[in-house]
Amino acid sequence: MADKTFFIDTTRCTACRGCQIACKEWNQNPATTTKNWGSFQNPEDLSFVTYKLVRFSEVVSDGELRWYFFPDQCRHCIEPPCKDIAESLGYKKAITKDEATGAVIFNEKVKIKQQDFEEIKDSCPFNIPRYDAKKMAIAKCTMCIDRVSNGLVPACVKTCPTGTMNFGDRSQMLALANKRLKELKAEHPKAQLLNAEDVRTIFLVIDDSEKYYEFAKSHGPLGITRLVAMKKLISPLVRLTGLKG
Amino acid sequence: MTNHWIDIGNSDCILIMGSNAAENHPISFKWVTKAMQEGATLISVDPRFTRTSSKADIYAPIRSGTDIAFLGGMIKYILDNNLYFREYVSEYTNASFILSTKYGFRDGLFSGYDPKTRTYNKSYWAFEMDSKGIPKKDRSLKHQRSVFQQLKKHYSRYTLDKVSAITGTPQSLLTKIYRTYAATCRKGKAGTIMYAMGWTQHTVGVQNIRTMAMIQLLLGNMGVAGGGVNALRGESNVQGSTDHCLLYHIIPGYMSTPSTTWPTLADYRKRRPTSADPLSANWWQNEPKYMVSFLKSMFGDAATATNEFGYQWLPKVEAGVDYSWLNLFDAMYKGKFTGFFAWGQNPACSGANANKTRQAMAKLKWLVNVNMFDNETASFWKGPGMDPKKIQTEVFFLPCAVSAEKEGSITNSGRWMQWRYAAAKPPGKAKPDGDMIVELFEKIQDLYRKEKGVLPEPIVNLKWDYTTKGKFDAHKVAKEINGYFVKDVTINDTTYKKGTLVPSFAFLQDDGSTSSANWLYCNSYTEKGNMAARRGLKDASGIGLYLEWSWCWPVNRRIIYNRASVDLKGQPWDTKHPVISWIGDKWVGDVPDGGWPPMANPDGTPNPKSKYPFIMKEEGFAHIFGPGRPDGPFPEHYEPLECPVERNLMSSQFINPTVKQFESELDKRFTCDPRYPFVGTTYRVTEHWQTGIATRWQPWLLEAQPQQFCEMSEELARLRGIKNGDQVIVESGRGKVTAVAMVTKRFKPLKVMGQTVHEVGLPWCFGWVHPKDGGDSSNLLTPSVGDPNTTIPETKAFMVNVRKA
Amino acid sequence: MKVTRRDFIKISGATATGLVVSQLGFDLSPVSAYAATLRIKGAKETTTICPYCAVGCGIICHSKGGKVINTEGDPDHPINQGALCAKGAALYQWVNNDSRLTTPLYRAPGSTSWKSVSWNWALAEIAKRVKDARDKGFIKTNTKGQVVNRTESIAHVGSAALDNEECWTLQAMMRALGLVYIEHQARI
Repeated sequence: MADKTFFIDTTRCTACRGCQIACKEWNQNPATTTKNWGSFQNPEDLSFVTYKLVRFSEVVSDGELRWYFFPDQCRHCIEPPCKDIAESLGYKKAITKDEATGAVIFNEKVKIKQQDFEEIKDSCPFNIPRYDAKKMAIAKCTMCIDRVSNGLVPACVKTCPTGTMNFGDRSQMLALANKRLKELKAEHPKAQLLNAEDVRTIFLVIDDSEKYYEFAKSHGPLGITRLVAMKKLISPLVRLTGLKG
Repeated sequence: MTNHWIDIGNSDCILIMGSNAAENHPISFKWVTKAMQEGATLISVDPRFTRTSSKADIYAPIRSGTDIAFLGGMIKYILDNNLYFREYVSEYTNASFILSTKYGFRDGLFSGYDPKTRTYNKSYWAFEMDSKGIPKKDRSLKHQRSVFQQLKKHYSRYTLDKVSAITGTPQSLLTKIYRTYAATCRKGKAGTIMYAMGWTQHTVGVQNIRTMAMIQLLLGNMGVAGGGVNALRGESNVQGSTDHCLLYHIIPGYMSTPSTTWPTLADYRKRRPTSADPLSANWWQNEPKYMVSFLKSMFGDAATATNEFGYQWLPKVEAGVDYSWLNLFDAMYKGKFTGFFAWGQNPACSGANANKTRQAMAKLKWLVNVNMFDNETASFWKGPGMDPKKIQTEVFFLPCAVSAEKEGSITNSGRWMQWRYAAAKPPGKAKPDGDMIVELFEKIQDLYRKEKGVLPEPIVNLKWDYTTKGKFDAHKVAKEINGYFVKDVTINDTTYKKGTLVPSFAFLQDDGSTSSANWLYCNSYTEKGNMAARRGLKDASGIGLYLEWSWCWPVNRRIIYNRASVDLKGQPWDTKHPVISWIGDKWVGDVPDGGWPPMANPDGTPNPKSKYPFIMKEEGFAHIFGPGRPDGPFPEHYEPLECPVERNLMSSQFINPTVKQFESELDKRFTCDPRYPFVGTTYRVTEHWQTGIATRWQPWLLEAQPQQFCEMSEELARLRGIKNGDQVIVESGRGKVTAVAMVTKRFKPLKVMGQTVHEVGLPWCFGWVHPKDGGDSSNLLTPSVGDPNTTIPETKAFMVNVRKA
Repeated sequence: MKVTRRDFIKISGATATGLVVSQLGFDLSPVSAYAATLRIKGAKETTTICPYCAVGCGIICHSKGGKVINTEGDPDHPINQGALCAKGAALYQWVNNDSRLTTPLYRAPGSTSWKSVSWNWALAEIAKRVKDARDKGFIKTNTKGQVVNRTESIAHVGSAALDNEECWTLQAMMRALGLVYIEHQARI
């Protein structure tokens, strides 16, 4: 199995939210209680039981009204900072990366202290990890690793009607992403792939990424803070210790 | 839909107007996207910028209820710029027909109007006939009384200035859309329309759709791949339930309900006009075969030639009396009914003027509601403002199975009849509707057998053998719907044995030798098997017809009127997307609209064995001039019953002159009333279905769309001191609802006749039963007034006020 | 496109370490656990058509022990090719839903509550009321003396979510009873 990548073409998204619900269904995640907060976007944010969320953003761009949809989820970073920081904090089995697919997997069975979770969350340039204080566990998109390992595509990809959600071998997804980028560039000079080289969930947008969502794109080197970097520098020791155990 | 979902992918220009397909038919966008990838242009016209608009190449706002003005302007543009498909228009439509001298139109009224009865005498709109009784034609389209010239004259009044002033759509956008859409007049180009309740729910609903159908005919877009007039239907089987005619005015297969106009079967048999033109198939002349076969399915052996096959056992409606939804609830409100079945429907939220509906139900002696969840209809007696102790209505609630817990077929909007299977048993004592129907009726039959009663014959003689081991058997009904030979029948030297299934409706007889519960579905379950269950994926057509997947009415024809997709010699206008083609001695491709050869031989001479392509029309030609409608042969702009303007810019007829209004104290009208200054409209959301009865109870969907909301512009919000997320009260002259304000750039005030018009919108998927903080139905606001053709209520355009709660 | 890891390499040597860890066969317990437990493995597949809008998408219901455990788009279906919208994707929760009512209920005149009743009782009582209302309200002839044989004392709405076969049977029953006030969703 080659390493895998999502390609999310937001220009095709109609915000039908099939992906958001299919994710809940496949993962059997319960609904949360929500209120209408003046937006179609609900729940308002990702949570311990919401791995996939279509974000809605109304903007005027170049004098034209646009309604952007951003089907947010874990980027499955090629070098996941969450994993590094978790390990540096001593949680050697909390976050792993699947060798075959590249999926970054949170182990919900590993109990994590709230303050450590905050550090793990802060390490994520895309604001993905979520915590359940009662269970002392973290959760996020699993890349439907159970499906993918059995030759199926992730539930969100399967359910997408418009070709917004794509999934496959990384080389193929990169080729598709670049093809679509090229097609769109002529009409949309700001079209771009977000952090394509560093993540396995590549978003294609046609405008400044902040117009979609604050954390759509990582600025700089995947947003790793000085603090995280410092911790990473000392982390190999922790890891080696972990290996013995 | 004349075409079907996959076919949208073949289009060159997609107009989505009167629909919000991306939100309400999301998977249609698989095919819209495909078309766009291949270069199609997507146009969205909507009062509100929607998820559909977000994907469109061109978006234009429009004031609710002014679509005829918008489209009338397009007809004028097409004619002014000679952008009509000349050959198609003259050969396949009635544009060349000559109108009688009695036809006329003046100041918003067609000739033949009687102001006392508010009806037209349609004989004023007849065609001029030749000595044989065939309509006179002028193929040059120049005759002053030709349909074409009258069309030109009628729409010459729809100038850009006027259209823009009425609709609020900027002129530049009007022109851009007209130009883009009219470009599909070229051979090989197709434009399609995707519409839904945004067009039907108006007092000019049918004429909205007719205007577009006329445009499609002018551009040669009917019958072709990527074209057609496509109604996006809103319920999984609203197509099938309409085909089987759970409607007062029609019986299965779109035959008229027996009426006092046709006291006997002999009268009914004669009711369809004959055509003197040998080239007109005039398909409806076959109706007697379908009617007798229907009666044989209803009453089986008890239906004989001597008893008119049981014709008198069918109830007859009174000629001229309307028994439709709004009248039904008006009658209920007046205490006319003892009992009422709300079978798989929640009228307490779904009907217009919900307060009236809810109060009407309190006048019933008994109510039966079939559903899966508690709902506002079943529990109306404990709803807002109700005192249960004072309500004497007995209520029976019967819990039913969901779709995946039973076997049977449903028919989608593209007319595909698709079979589905039971994946599980219903929970507890819930049971499939089919079982309830047979068990209830058996009990009623027993009572009539044991106790006698008034006219028991239709009840005791109703053929009722649809169970296997005591359970409803969908296969048995499906076979009856298709129909049987009930005795040995020889047709064209082939003998069909008694008890075998009829191959197609061409084999049905009017002598009682065949049964068919619905002729339109004859061919769906034959000796070859259950066609609806087929899963063949071969697509020889190359245009996505999938002739071996499920089954489609009529006779598996995927694109109807497809004989208009070819020229007179049978060669497709669009060689890249041929629907059918004549190859020497036969048609290939889709199932053609009749197997007759093309209109012309290869040398161009007329072929007398041919038939005109529009076979369901008496004359064989598509109706640009439609003399059958009660509100006029050409669509004309009238204002909605409630509107923000004081006059109709097109004429001194303010509203549709044939509209019927109700007079109860709950049926008030407020036009240009300062208490209700804003246009209101209603719509659906992706996450909920209809009144939300099923989806509000599903936590995942409720999480995604939890509460009633009201969308409004930033300008209107400022005017009323409302902030995004505030609780607001929306009220009309009929009711009020509380909602969360969604202040958005996607609604913009419009300039209408020089004044600023604000519009707001609310979904109608919420109700007081669940969730408790979800808000109530927006149909509390809507008026009970309907289209004069269909009586579909005008829930898309009415007047409201909005204020902070 | 060449994939680089430059952003990380700039920060630390963690990359190399990470790779080594993987290659050493680090315990990937959550991954292997997930992979081994594909919850639809061995489930029965039943095809159905989506019960919501009229696009008519195909859905596969996976069931085990008579219980639906998963629903997802039918990839062979030519219209949706496996795709579903929010509602279609939630079909599982319509089938498996604790809020469903599972027994017939009756509310007596003036009562403030429902009570559970048996099917037999409910249908028998409805049948009696139907007969009574029909017999009392039946109109054999109109004012002109024409035979009309209709029941105007009972009305019916609904059915757009029923199967075709149920719809046909339902209209047959209502028409046999003489109803003319027969309406449904298509009218609104």
